[in-house]
Amino acid sequence: MQDLFNSANFIDLNAWSVLFLVIVGFVGGLVSGFIGSGGAFVLTPGMMSLGVPGPVAVASNMCHKFPKALVGAYKRWKYGQVDIKLGIVMAIFATGGVQVGIKIQQMVLERWGKAGSNLYVSIAFIVILLTVGGYVLWDAYKSIRGNSSIQVEKTSSLAKRLQSINLPPMLLFKTANVRISLWIILPVGFATGLLAATIAVGGFIGVPGMIYIIGASSLVASATELVIAFIMGLGGSINWAVHGMIDIRLTLLILLGSLLGVQLGAIGTTYVKDYMIKLVMGTIMYIVVVSRFLAVPRYLTELNLMSLPEGTLKLLDKVSFIFMCIALLTGAAIILVNMWVVRRRALKEAEEATRRVEEAASPA
Amino acid sequence: MAKENVSNNHVLRKVVIYGALTAALYAGVFWNSAAVLHLCAKGGIYAVFPITFVFAFSFSHGAFANYLWQLLGIEALKQPKVEAEKTAEVTKRPEVRRRARVQA
Repeated sequence: MQDLFNSANFIDLNAWSVLFLVIVGFVGGLVSGFIGSGGAFVLTPGMMSLGVPGPVAVASNMCHKFPKALVGAYKRWKYGQVDIKLGIVMAIFATGGVQVGIKIQQMVLERWGKAGSNLYVSIAFIVILLTVGGYVLWDAYKSIRGNSSIQVEKTSSLAKRLQSINLPPMLLFKTANVRISLWIILPVGFATGLLAATIAVGGFIGVPGMIYIIGASSLVASATELVIAFIMGLGGSINWAVHGMIDIRLTLLILLGSLLGVQLGAIGTTYVKDYMIKLVMGTIMYIVVVSRFLAVPRYLTELNLMSLPEGTLKLLDKVSFIFMCIALLTGAAIILVNMWVVRRRALKEAEEATRRVEEAASPA
Repeated sequence: MAKENVSNNHVLRKVVIYGALTAALYAGVFWNSAAVLHLCAKGGIYAVFPITFVFAFSFSHGAFANYLWQLLGIEALKQPKVEAEKTAEVTKRPEVRRRARVQA
């Protein structure tokens, strides 16, 4: 058997890189546990900035993703939020989407080179996240402006209309409380895979797709996305492992933080109202758009479509990465602040109730 | 109160057990990092090693993390389960077959 080990693929770790991976792992895990995806978009460029070659960064990141998704999905399944059947069906179609996405990427790479491929990824990021993220944020805003004390999440009118189309085979998803044609799920799953192969975060289309097209609640959609991430991540990791590209040290260091984070994020979903998932997801999407927008001038310069000095491009790269980190940190901050506020209120109410019971029990 | 203490001790014991197991797994990998890295990056059939490692770590560290949050008192809030809006009619279809009648 051929030994694929190549020492050039693996960097020396120092205290700073270890700390960086554990902290980003934790924050990424927290966001993933809450909205079903996220973190990967910071980890891959983050590892590359430490000197890890691109394919090893992607492989090691993917290898941490599926166990994290497994732990998160299990935790949220215990809370009754996961629709396993919906996750499996979506993952099957997403696998097809990934294959087509890879083919498109290869075509773009062959025709326009690395800069063209990067430009294609950035433009896909900007267009998709602007439209989907905008809608998600607008919907969250409507929920906040509406009667926020009501916990029932309304199904979108589009999903209602699509559910009424009786095109066999019709599938029933009990946890999601949805009965819908397989032919409606197919494009949503396919698009999830296509996006995962293009921008590495399929959840940015999978979760909104499950909410607005299939008609699942935000809680069920974000939890079910973890099942999809597990199945797709496992398949992708086996593929990378066969090619000897996984740096197991990086994977385990990220897991050290992310398994703590993903469980905290999953617990967080029981503290907040449904629209908070949409708010966190939409906010992250919009900040990521800014980051990708700042990365475009470099690719345009490399394609000779624009001219900017190297110093400016380097500065833009740095600011772009900082915005990626801000996106993740903002999402994490919204989750933690909300958890803290709700928890404090719950503790106060419990104290108040105990005091009342004691007062009633004690003689006057 | 006593019941709560017993429960806390039980959780603490789990934290210590899974924490020790996780620490041992990490120490094992990082003390022999060169050999483990080489093994996992060999490719081909050796792909089974990184996949098995991450499953083992996620079981041990996942359990540790779960009990750690529990010990710190950060647990899921028990909210009254709200019925989601009925979006799909999942009621059984009415029986349309006619009853057999005895023709006298």
